[in-house]
Amino acid sequence: MRITKLQGCAALVLVLSQVTACSSLGVKPWERDVLAKEEMALNAAPLDNRLDDHIYFSKEGSSGGRSFAGGGCGCN
Amino acid sequence: MQLKQLANISAALAAASCAVLGQDAQAGTVLDDWQFNSAILLYNETDRVSAGEAILSARGDFGDDKYLNLGLVVDALTGASATGAVAQPGVQSFTRPSGKGSYDVAPGDTPLDDTFHDTRVQLDASWEQPLAPNWRVSGGGHLSKEYDYLSLGVNGSVARDFNQKNTTVSMGLAYSHDTISPEGGVASGFAPMLLRSNFADDDSYQAAFDATRDRADDTKDTVDMLLGLTQVINRDWLMQFNYSLSMADGYMTDPFKLVSVVNSNGEVQQNLYESRPDKRTKHSVYWQNKLHLGGTYLDASYRYMWDDWELKSHTADVKWRFPVSEQWYVEPQLRYYQQSAAEFYLPFLQQSDSLPQYASADYRIGKMSTYTLGAKFGTKLAAGNELSFRIALYQQNPEQDGADAPGVLANVDLYEKVTAVMAQVSYSF
Amino acid sequence: MTDVAVSRGKNCTLGQFSAMASPCEILLETADMTLCRELTLLAAAEAERIEQKYSRYRTDSVLSQLNQGAGQWQQLDDETAQLLTFANTCYQLSDGLFDISSGILRRAWQFDGSDRLASQAQLAALLPHIGWHQVQLKPKQILLPAGMELDLGGIAKEYAVDKVLQLLRAQFTPSSLPSIVVNFGGDMHCSRPRHDGSLWHIGIENPGLVDHAISAVGLTTGALATSGDSRRFLLKDGVRYSHILNPKTGWPVTDAPRSVTVAAPNCLLAGMLATTALLQGASAEAFLQAQGLKYWLVA
Repeated sequence: MRITKLQGCAALVLVLSQVTACSSLGVKPWERDVLAKEEMALNAAPLDNRLDDHIYFSKEGSSGGRSFAGGGCGCN
Repeated sequence: MQLKQLANISAALAAASCAVLGQDAQAGTVLDDWQFNSAILLYNETDRVSAGEAILSARGDFGDDKYLNLGLVVDALTGASATGAVAQPGVQSFTRPSGKGSYDVAPGDTPLDDTFHDTRVQLDASWEQPLAPNWRVSGGGHLSKEYDYLSLGVNGSVARDFNQKNTTVSMGLAYSHDTISPEGGVASGFAPMLLRSNFADDDSYQAAFDATRDRADDTKDTVDMLLGLTQVINRDWLMQFNYSLSMADGYMTDPFKLVSVVNSNGEVQQNLYESRPDKRTKHSVYWQNKLHLGGTYLDASYRYMWDDWELKSHTADVKWRFPVSEQWYVEPQLRYYQQSAAEFYLPFLQQSDSLPQYASADYRIGKMSTYTLGAKFGTKLAAGNELSFRIALYQQNPEQDGADAPGVLANVDLYEKVTAVMAQVSYSF
Repeated sequence: MTDVAVSRGKNCTLGQFSAMASPCEILLETADMTLCRELTLLAAAEAERIEQKYSRYRTDSVLSQLNQGAGQWQQLDDETAQLLTFANTCYQLSDGLFDISSGILRRAWQFDGSDRLASQAQLAALLPHIGWHQVQLKPKQILLPAGMELDLGGIAKEYAVDKVLQLLRAQFTPSSLPSIVVNFGGDMHCSRPRHDGSLWHIGIENPGLVDHAISAVGLTTGALATSGDSRRFLLKDGVRYSHILNPKTGWPVTDAPRSVTVAAPNCLLAGMLATTALLQGASAEAFLQAQGLKYWLVA
């Protein structure tokens, strides 16, 4: 019984330390070397995304998500 | 000799010094920085639609993090598109949506309207700039015109950085006003498709046709809202969450689509123009991850969309970039999409049933799954220019949802698969 | 590891260390001392790397190895090949006045403020071993004739300033880049204007004439470099001989301004133009005017 309780505490401490780790998500300004690369941009290939969005907008029943769903064309 | 020494050598030296430093040369100290992106896409469906689309976009750097973005899109579309009508064991005749002319469809073939050819031109512009420390705003608009369609829109967004720019919260709003003016006017809901051969002369046909068209054009207003959260997880991992809400009000019926009315043996009795609700509210959640994994770059995203037409969809998209040399990279791409049918989707109407309030046989809002398999090859050129090639195979697999095919419909393909090839060349300079 | 010191200034933080025989500074517009320390450590490491690679005082430097290998074809690493290609361009564009093979003239001239001029016999012995046109440069190889020596003293510090700023810049996304100044003994490069729009006021070395000196310059963005003969000169019969030597004659340039400061997009370019201006002697100002860049002269 006592051992179980101790284990419970250990588990709690572990969870707490993970929560603390989460609260410091992110990087320091000088650690942005990788994130600054254009390959890591969220919209790394804007024209590809635009062309794709247009194709799928006109061929499927869904649109938007990444950016505005919008109107824009009477595509078939 | 003295003259030569006194010549302006700074421009040539600037280029040489930038070469040493691996930078793009700047003209003097004046910032005049325009970045151009261009792309051409060819889209070709087997036996159906072919489309070509060209984009030119320009981004001007006005210093102090102020940018002007300009875009020009031109696309042209030609070929045959599914009308929504069902295939039959015999030859079928159809009147073109404009009311002028007709075409026949061979036995067993999915009816396709081969009159589609349209050219669209779109212009858009936006301006973005910081508003205060950690705040950015942007505003813009678009104009899109094709033969029978006009779309005008404005949009704006604001973003706030937190936590040493590791977290960004953004909010955007967009409004668009679209006008459709199909040739021959807008068909009223469930208007029958008339055949000239059923009339004694042109005048009586035209009078009856005109009676099925109640207005020359119609409009649609769309308001979009987008809430975004960008979070840096660690040095190699970036995440984006979006929730978007899109509310459309107006004409959302496709004026070129039909629904076949069949008897108990599956034989077409009549073709009606489809009718859809004039309101649609869509929601979507979007989750994107950018990961740097041992020198490669993974872009993985998932979207769940649902709306009050009861269409629900899942989209998973993965792009993985592998550098293969100093200059070249290869990026395999895979996308899977799956949707359920809108509540009023019906592949055909039964003569014995009463007419529903709304119905559409457009496979694009029916149950369907699609996948895209592609690869992109890119190379960095001198002076920061980039050239890339992309090729992809797009497969649409419409699926049966409920409705059993009676009589002759059991022997035709009601859910024909569509295969398309996309090829794209992009150049940034 | 180099010693660095970080302190808080007025509306900025300051990191200091010593490299390339100069006091070196990193100025940062934010008040984040930790960030300033990290950046200064990066800067000091990069400056030390370049100094070790191109110092003529270290026998194990890449430059010393090249000089020791004179007389035979030698392989070049990318960075060195690029620097030598730049030096070649400078030589061509300055019509032979900017010559990295002229360093051996130091053997004849000691600029210690005395009146000991070099003898013509000394110079005659050295001149045959000077002249970049004698060097054969291929994309990744060099043949330096025996007896010749290269000296990157006129380029290395300016190059280091640019490379250090480039390294510091790479630590930020373009939108989060703060205003950073890298200042190595008066040769400096600034990343971007300060967010509050104010200028960086940085003192540059005063060549001794208080009245005419540029005591401080206002810098928003871009680079500044200064060439001059502040303390290094000879004085004989009332003629002041600057330490700027004409590689063609072996003699100091006369009638040149005491100091030239040039503003340019990068420090390498600014430094090269300042030095080349001094080499023009009396035509220095005309040369600078022709370049279409901002400059300051101390006559």
